[in-house]
Amino acid sequence: MKHLGSLTIFFSWIVLISGIWLLIFYRTSVNGAFESLEYLTHEQWYLGGIMRSLHRYASDAMVVTILLHIVREFSRDTFRLNRWFSWSTGLPLVWMVFVFGISGYWLVWDELAQYVAITSSELLDVIPIFTSKMAANFLMDSALSDRFFTLMAFLHLIGLPIFLVFGIWLHVFRLSRPKINPPKRLMAGTLLGMLLLALLFPAHSQDKANLALAPQSLELDWFYLHVYPLVELWSPGWVWVLLTGISALIFFAPWLPPGKAQPVAAVDLDNCNGCQRCADDCPYGAIEMLPRSDGKRYEYEVVVNPDLCTSCGICVGACPTATPFRNQTALIPGIDLPQRSAQDLKRSIDDATVAKPLVLSFACTGSSELAWLKANDKAVVEVACIGQLPPPYLDYVLSRNLSDRVLLSGCAGNCRFRFGMEWTEQRITRQRDPNLRRRVGAHRIAMAWVDPLCSVGGLKAQMALLEKQASETAE
Amino acid sequence: MKLVGQVVLYAAFFALLGVLSVRPRLRLMADDEAIVSISFSHAARRVGECRRLSQEELMALPPNMRKPEDCPRERHPLQIVLLMDDQTLYAAVLPPTGLWADGKSTAYQRIRVLAGTHDFAIRMNDSGTSGSFDFENLSTISLLPGENLVVYFDADSQQFKFHQVSQ
Repeated sequence: MKHLGSLTIFFSWIVLISGIWLLIFYRTSVNGAFESLEYLTHEQWYLGGIMRSLHRYASDAMVVTILLHIVREFSRDTFRLNRWFSWSTGLPLVWMVFVFGISGYWLVWDELAQYVAITSSELLDVIPIFTSKMAANFLMDSALSDRFFTLMAFLHLIGLPIFLVFGIWLHVFRLSRPKINPPKRLMAGTLLGMLLLALLFPAHSQDKANLALAPQSLELDWFYLHVYPLVELWSPGWVWVLLTGISALIFFAPWLPPGKAQPVAAVDLDNCNGCQRCADDCPYGAIEMLPRSDGKRYEYEVVVNPDLCTSCGICVGACPTATPFRNQTALIPGIDLPQRSAQDLKRSIDDATVAKPLVLSFACTGSSELAWLKANDKAVVEVACIGQLPPPYLDYVLSRNLSDRVLLSGCAGNCRFRFGMEWTEQRITRQRDPNLRRRVGAHRIAMAWVDPLCSVGGLKAQMALLEKQASETAE
Repeated sequence: MKLVGQVVLYAAFFALLGVLSVRPRLRLMADDEAIVSISFSHAARRVGECRRLSQEELMALPPNMRKPEDCPRERHPLQIVLLMDDQTLYAAVLPPTGLWADGKSTAYQRIRVLAGTHDFAIRMNDSGTSGSFDFENLSTISLLPGENLVVYFDADSQQFKFHQVSQ
């Protein structure tokens, strides 16, 4: 589920590559358009036909993944506050993808294209920018010229892709390390599935467009054209009301109502040595390294951009000064979350381990894992994001035998931030700074990154295993 | 178990793609229906006649704007009535386009009708006179199921025409 955005981009690559193949053979004329696609579908089915089907199915798949992507971000409430930009810039992308798809169906010039041309024109004619009705061009063959197909092909093949690429760039502009490609296995699996679909159910044209006849029934692509039947059922004007209403609702959703802003990460220059780890790990590019301003011998200091910070605390997890072993000075790291400070975290650990539990768990605020752990009276410490937990805290728990085992939980399905689980795993397996110290037995730490649907089954099993191991150790 | 789950998810995803890209079929009209489309643009006559300016009026204007006649730009709205077997299929009063109401009026409508032989009458008033029509065309036409009959105003011959597949 977390790869929906990158999967959409992968599908757009398939659309682009297959589209280039179709372009080579496509003829931009009233008769040539239909015939060139018929040639590809039937004469060159082994390549052109498959390319056409991939073009169709990958385009349709984009609509599905975009829809799921929107639903996922909405359900995780990750679109308000500082994340409004990525949310709201996604909306023009949705419109572009639909215009892309609809103009593509237009180019086939079969009965569906005829229906799409007339209905789209009727929709556009509601906008008072044309002096004459665009739909009038699709009532008689004599009104239609080959140049129209050149214009549509230009829009579909050159104009829209440029806007789409720019739109994607803008959409991920505020993200650090945006994931452009999904995992290779996922790419291979979807491409294979799509190839199978293309072979079993190849995309085909319907009867050639004939403006003297009105199609009586059509095979409609419901992914792109689901609104079109409403044009005749209601009216073009009401369809615009519906579309603009839904779009406005989506665009302004981050402020309906606005989220409750959390205090952003705070820098304490006395404890910051400008090591840059927090800036490297921040998933939102909210941390800048600027020349030192306090006269200390370090080269840089950390500055948090409050417009970008989402208060995830991953920067605290990366800070080498966030260590509970400090006893000469107060536990104030170079960067900290005011609402869940490093000192506060240590206190919570101490409180949760008074009774020396076999297993101490860490879980993210608002997660189903936290709810389950609390409901089952497990010793648990709450963190804003699992990535907020600096590895020295695990060292603290285990080397002082506050608990025999530690369970770190997280779920991609309800993860409200980015990279928390990934960075934590890399820190514990000593692939990322700050590393977990070698004296800590890694076998005493378990990571329960549960399934995408966040069912607690995996967490329960992991907890049972850890409790059994801890009991055996105690014996 | 995880593999089975993945296979099921992939299968569901691609089944969804395969089905919804063509099914269910969209029924646009009944088998015994045809379409009558009325579509044209026409500039109605101007609201007033041109008036020759007096010498005093001309001299009051800047030298570069001294045109001998003052012609009002505004046009009348078009009144259109399309009848089929004496029943009104389409009737409209179409205002002229443009900020100064000096552009063409545009008619566009698609209407589903029963196929078969029908008497059509199209009438238009473009002069603003009440109770009469400046243009009229009557025709008896046999419409095949699914046929698209286009009713339009031919600017060259200044008359209404019925265009259908058999012509």
